[in-house]
Amino acid sequence: MTPRLEDLGPCFQGVVPAMVATCALDGEPNITYLSQVYYVDPKHVALSRQFFNKTQRNVAENPYATVLLWDPVTFDMYRLLLRFDHSETDGPLFDTMSLRIEVIASHTGMAGIFKLVSADVYEVLSIESVDGFLTPPDPALDALPPPSVDAVPISEVRGLQAISGRISRATHLEELLDVALLALDETFGFSHSMVLLPDDSGQRLVTVASRGYGEHGVGAEVTIGDGIIGTVAVRQRMVRVAGMDESLRYGRAIRHRAEESGQGCPAPEIPLPGLCDAQAHLALPLCVGRRLVGVLGVESRDPLCFDEWDEAYLQIIGNQIALGIDRMQAFDDADDSPSLSRPPQRREASPVRTRRSFVYYRNDDCVFMDGEYLVRNIPGKILWRVLVQHERTGQSEFTNRELRLDPTLGLPAVKDNLESRLILLRRRLEEKCPDVRLVPVRRGRFALELGCDVALTEKDSAGA
Amino acid sequence: MIWKDTAAFVESGVSILVGTRTAQLMPEAVRGCGASVLAGGEELLVFIPEATGAATIANIEDNGRIAVTFCRPFDHRSLQFKGKVVEVRRGTAADRAVVENYRCAFAQELAVVGVPGRISLRMATWPAYAVRLRVATAFDQTPGPGAGARYGAARDAGPGQVAPGSPGTAGAP
Repeated sequence: MTPRLEDLGPCFQGVVPAMVATCALDGEPNITYLSQVYYVDPKHVALSRQFFNKTQRNVAENPYATVLLWDPVTFDMYRLLLRFDHSETDGPLFDTMSLRIEVIASHTGMAGIFKLVSADVYEVLSIESVDGFLTPPDPALDALPPPSVDAVPISEVRGLQAISGRISRATHLEELLDVALLALDETFGFSHSMVLLPDDSGQRLVTVASRGYGEHGVGAEVTIGDGIIGTVAVRQRMVRVAGMDESLRYGRAIRHRAEESGQGCPAPEIPLPGLCDAQAHLALPLCVGRRLVGVLGVESRDPLCFDEWDEAYLQIIGNQIALGIDRMQAFDDADDSPSLSRPPQRREASPVRTRRSFVYYRNDDCVFMDGEYLVRNIPGKILWRVLVQHERTGQSEFTNRELRLDPTLGLPAVKDNLESRLILLRRRLEEKCPDVRLVPVRRGRFALELGCDVALTEKDSAGA
Repeated sequence: MIWKDTAAFVESGVSILVGTRTAQLMPEAVRGCGASVLAGGEELLVFIPEATGAATIANIEDNGRIAVTFCRPFDHRSLQFKGKVVEVRRGTAADRAVVENYRCAFAQELAVVGVPGRISLRMATWPAYAVRLRVATAFDQTPGPGAGARYGAARDAGPGQVAPGSPGTAGAP
């Protein structure tokens, strides 16, 4: 039976590079690897063109190309006979292919050098399975089980219902993000995920919730425009990258060439946030209208973990999370709300209290605890204000409203993301200094709980 | 001309792609399964599995035009040689040792990038055709700004020199 293009999905994920043969009008053949073959529709594929090369010169003269695709799951090989149709240099197809290239370029410090020149669309004239490419399975070699790619959960609507319900019941931002990531894990097995929100500067995204990275995910920063997450934030489009190893190797090969040819690579290579051995990434912008309120990132060690279904599904969840974030930020000031989201957890004072030394550096709004960096910027200023106020007046409950009205904190007049900054601060304290807790007592109000004595020192700068 | 350092690369377990074309200029692609550098670097012997190579061999018998690309999966270092086939024959027992060595070396290269041996060792390699070609041109195909440039142009002053390195191949054997 002739295979159908639409059934070759795994071949288009870039896990194993494809090969393309073309022929010049003078009869000279050419064969090379391709960085990306993209499924367009049941009759068309698009090949990525990053550099003008022999393949493009050949199809300009003689429009036929033969592409070998290797299925990364079954390892069957398929031969596609193609005829060049047209090139696209803008539009949705170009944007989608370009984004993937940009992500790889950004990860290898090649932004602006390794970029999509055009998406070359070819008509698929024939598809055939390359019979005999693999010999029959050998029991001796086949001792290991084949990779499983099952994956679409049977009751996705039920799963959506469950997640949607949890998100809409959340009473504050921290709970919303926690339940959303928990539900993604429990219901659909997205076990490594994170949500990043824009910081004060608008130049960076800060991880405020994560799942699957132990306690170390929160606080990680990504410069907007860098890497997968940063690129998604700029372009406000979802991106899915599979076969990360393969794609990064390809990007690095180009980086080496560019360095040697003197084109330079100003940006250092950016380490991937999250799993050090992630093979697949899916990141999507969390937008309300055209405004970016955050980025949801999901990772897996399985290069084929994410497919079109995951894209569609996460887009729905992402929209709900985005609206939830916006809702929380709009209403977290409602001090009079009777809902008690989390009762204060007062611990018995331990008989021997430790003493923590906090230092605030005025020049960069940075707080160190016992000589170790704790938090900076607005979360740092908030912590300092709370600690100082407590020391001076004994005040132990604080409202979001009073923080907003305090000009020394420098919160913007609108969309100040105060709640996300409090989450970041709370998480950093949980991780680095569990003796100091900021416990929500009701919406828009939190209590300072100290399990230690504190010493506060203010300095102009680290050298002062 | 295939230089000594390049020959080591060609004869290692790197990926081999073979391109040919029909009389009507329709391109064809197939994976090779081993290669040797012959005649002091003037010729290349490439093995093509009988299981998948019928169309390629028909093309070669028609017009002899061929392109062979060698690519190391780990870092995409790639070289392409083009020329005219001077002989096609069925592989001999001696050839089989070359092909078998290649099969194992290629499986190791693929293991580095995550393709398991239970798959890579199942690729059909034998019986194979032995295709001997005279190398006319060589191109550096490593992806990047210089992809497709003539390879080793700076060395064309004469054979026997030790090349001081070439574009895109720093650190290569």
